[in-house]
Amino acid sequence: MRRKSWNRLKIIEYAGYLLFGAIICKLMYLQSYKQAEIGEKALDLWERSFPIAASRGSIVDRNFGVLAYDIPSTSVMVVPSQIDNKETTAMTLSNILNADYQTILTKISNHVSTQKLNPEGRLLTEEEELAIKNANLGGVYLVRDVKRHYPNHFFLSQVLGFTGVDNQGLSGLELAYDEILQGSSGSLNIPFDAKGNKIDIVEESWTSSGSGNILMLTIDSTIQGIIERELNNAMLTYEPDQAWAIAMNPNTGEILAMVSKPDFDPNDYQAYDIEVINRNLPIFNSYEPGSTFKIISFAAALNENVIDMENETYMDIGYEIVNGARIKSWKAGGHGLQTFLEVLQNSSNPGFVEISRRLGIETLYNYVKAFGFGDKTNIDLVGESSGIFFSLDRMSELEAATTAFGQGISLTAIQLVSAVSATVNGGYLYEPYITKAILHPLTYDVLYENEPKVVRQVISEETSFKMRYALEHVVALGGGRQAYIEGYRIGGKTGTAQKAKNGAYMENEYILSFIGVAPIDNPQIVLYIAMDNPTNNIQYGGTVVAPIAKKCLTDILPYMNIPTVTEQLPKTYNWNEIKSYMVDNYIGLSVDDVDSKHFKFVFNGEGDYVVSQLPMSGTYMKSGGEIWLYLGNDEIK
Amino acid sequence: MLHYRNRKFLLIVSILLIIGILAIYSASSVWANLKFNDEFYYMKRQVIFATIGVIVMYIVSYYDVSKLRKYAYWFFSFCIILMVLVLIPGIGSERNGSMSWFKIGPVLFQPSEFLKLALIMVVSDKLSKKRKIRKLKDVYDIMGLCLLSFGLIMLQPDFGSGVVMLSAIVIMVIVAGIPMKYFVYVVIIGSIAIVFLIMSAPYRMSRILAFIDPFSDPLGAGFQSIQSLYAIAPGGIMGMGFQNSMQKQFYLPEPHTDFIFAIIAEEMGFIGGGFLVLVFGLLFKEGLRIIKNVEDKYLKYIVIGIMALFIIQVIINLCVVVGLFPITGVT
Repeated sequence: MRRKSWNRLKIIEYAGYLLFGAIICKLMYLQSYKQAEIGEKALDLWERSFPIAASRGSIVDRNFGVLAYDIPSTSVMVVPSQIDNKETTAMTLSNILNADYQTILTKISNHVSTQKLNPEGRLLTEEEELAIKNANLGGVYLVRDVKRHYPNHFFLSQVLGFTGVDNQGLSGLELAYDEILQGSSGSLNIPFDAKGNKIDIVEESWTSSGSGNILMLTIDSTIQGIIERELNNAMLTYEPDQAWAIAMNPNTGEILAMVSKPDFDPNDYQAYDIEVINRNLPIFNSYEPGSTFKIISFAAALNENVIDMENETYMDIGYEIVNGARIKSWKAGGHGLQTFLEVLQNSSNPGFVEISRRLGIETLYNYVKAFGFGDKTNIDLVGESSGIFFSLDRMSELEAATTAFGQGISLTAIQLVSAVSATVNGGYLYEPYITKAILHPLTYDVLYENEPKVVRQVISEETSFKMRYALEHVVALGGGRQAYIEGYRIGGKTGTAQKAKNGAYMENEYILSFIGVAPIDNPQIVLYIAMDNPTNNIQYGGTVVAPIAKKCLTDILPYMNIPTVTEQLPKTYNWNEIKSYMVDNYIGLSVDDVDSKHFKFVFNGEGDYVVSQLPMSGTYMKSGGEIWLYLGNDEIK
Repeated sequence: MLHYRNRKFLLIVSILLIIGILAIYSASSVWANLKFNDEFYYMKRQVIFATIGVIVMYIVSYYDVSKLRKYAYWFFSFCIILMVLVLIPGIGSERNGSMSWFKIGPVLFQPSEFLKLALIMVVSDKLSKKRKIRKLKDVYDIMGLCLLSFGLIMLQPDFGSGVVMLSAIVIMVIVAGIPMKYFVYVVIIGSIAIVFLIMSAPYRMSRILAFIDPFSDPLGAGFQSIQSLYAIAPGGIMGMGFQNSMQKQFYLPEPHTDFIFAIIAEEMGFIGGGFLVLVFGLLFKEGLRIIKNVEDKYLKYIVIGIMALFIIQVIINLCVVVGLFPITGVT
């Protein structure tokens, strides 16, 4: 019995050691092998994350000019459970932030782990930040935040859009490319006990935030700036309801400029009407184009060989009757006998009735559809309209006739610009785009690049060549004369459309427009400008908008390094217009050889030879102007 | 100081006492501060109980414990009466779903704690009187006493205490030399009983499931297991430092009672936690040495019973905390 009892005690002893050993092994396993894995989960339990705003990617133009970027800032965040005296804290905060006491009190009394004070405590000024720091309030934290800034303010505002309180894109490109621009938010992780009090046993840790990608636009800030400037002037001069413009590279579909007036400052978007913000007129506004649309029907007619524009004639007697409706020419009594090229130059509506008849309803319809009307262009912007176009079965001869000269169809500026680009670029309809590339925020490596996308070829290369020829004639000899620029070959067409409201045309309210192509022999830019209901003027596109386009192009074309030409289709002059002539080179000539039919000379200095001149050769000057010549004795070779 | 020769045992107990007081202070200070606005509240109580314990130990060491043998049945009967009384609402108090507490002033005590001791005393008396245990009928009387005690404990119910108590008696009977075949029967019957008990109370089942995979129900049955792991693992080898437990900050329930070892392991790391387990191991070893040295049969069984009671409780608690056993509520 004693022996047995002894043995049994031994067994119990070893069983006990085995269990103690097992406990130590499990402890070792948990505290070494499993430490990292479980420790990480435990840390998640203990820490509360305070977001650190990520830098949103900048938006830049095609030359890296910055259009939108983030400015580092500081915001307030509170941990309600750590605030002992809610009333005092709310009072102090509302005083510093100049915010409503009740609002602050409600927010800091929320039963949440962390609470942002948006918008009251967002993006603090340095004074506010210092005041909060000095107030030393328990449970009130200052966290890193960022504020979106648009350095050019009103510039390109509807395209860019703006961001909201959490730096999230709310409109325009900021919205369309929100995911790409957004960075990954970081966090400040602060350990708390299970009742929500901050404790400093575990160290605070950071997860750094990542910057969002850079969005590079096809926009050229210089061109944009020129057009913005001219439209701002026009807004003051003519006081239109609205005005808009697009500049596009016709060979790629890249948008070089897009202007919409009235505009807004995205830095202060709350101060503006939501309609102004959301309506990016060049893509939103859908309206009757008027005569600019004649380019489209003319191109269709040329492509179908139903007209021979230089040799065939049409007699404009002032009207055409279509299905009993009388369609008048804008010029009383009509333009008389004209070639079809002159029909376009003179913008003769009866002439286009004839063109529509020659084309036939279905062919015209097919061309209009092929040029992209009635469908969205799919430009990478939000808020695009598709315009309104008849369905084929509802299109009679009358609808076809009015469509041919730009009435009864509703379109957007971007549709028209894309279509007109197709008429001059060899016949290719491009999908317009405004995002050139997406770049890495630090290395600027190209992560994605937008390529020009041909939707379809609408007309032949040959037709396109004829169109360029025709459009140059319109500017040199026809309704677009006010856009004529000495030294640059411009093509284009004006438009005057009566505004329609509730199915009826409005008296004395017009949308005046001009579409220009330059240089016409090798188109690099298509510029479209439209003004809605300008006052203080005669309401014709040719007299109001074409000069604005001219001012724009006069600055844009030299900037684009487009060479001036010495030979161009000469402009026809009205009786009161003084002709301009090109200044010849006089440097190196002897005084006796200096002569000009158009200019006077003023001689400076002494000598037999001209050593310098102002203005320089190649520039244009009005007839009768003075050329200053500086004389010397050396013959310059 | 004490006349008893076992200085080693005394040293181990002293170490455990000091560790216990420090650990209770660290593990409870946050709660004590919240509930009583006194971070030393639980530590003070622990110091008082430890002091009482040391005094009792001192007295008992001079006393011939075998003289208490004649009062064993009176003591046992008294405990049985208390066990009945505690079940009556108004006399006993309920805590955590068990009617196991008497509340006298600020002091709470469980009659089952005394019953454990009383049962050990009567069983020791019975075993020391028996010449031989050959058949099961030789221990019918002991089985009857156990059944009565266990039954009363399960009426509260306090499964943990019941299991610890029965296990201690089983150890005593095994040492007494009962043929192992009966022990095998006991294991079989005991297992069936345990399965039945688990099935009868759904919370026990969910605790078993939570033991197998605590993360399957992180907010329910697995909650305590997970919180315990969240304390132990981050402690690592070196620990987070005394007073630096994160889990005691209201994350781990019962940080200064059932799960105090988790907090010790968190703050003192494997070095501290392993050391403590080692000290318990040494206590066990020294306890066995005492058992071998005791001449009196009755006293030998008393020592075996008390040691078994204590060590089983320690092992179950540690195993639960480190996740080797499912959570049972064994303190």
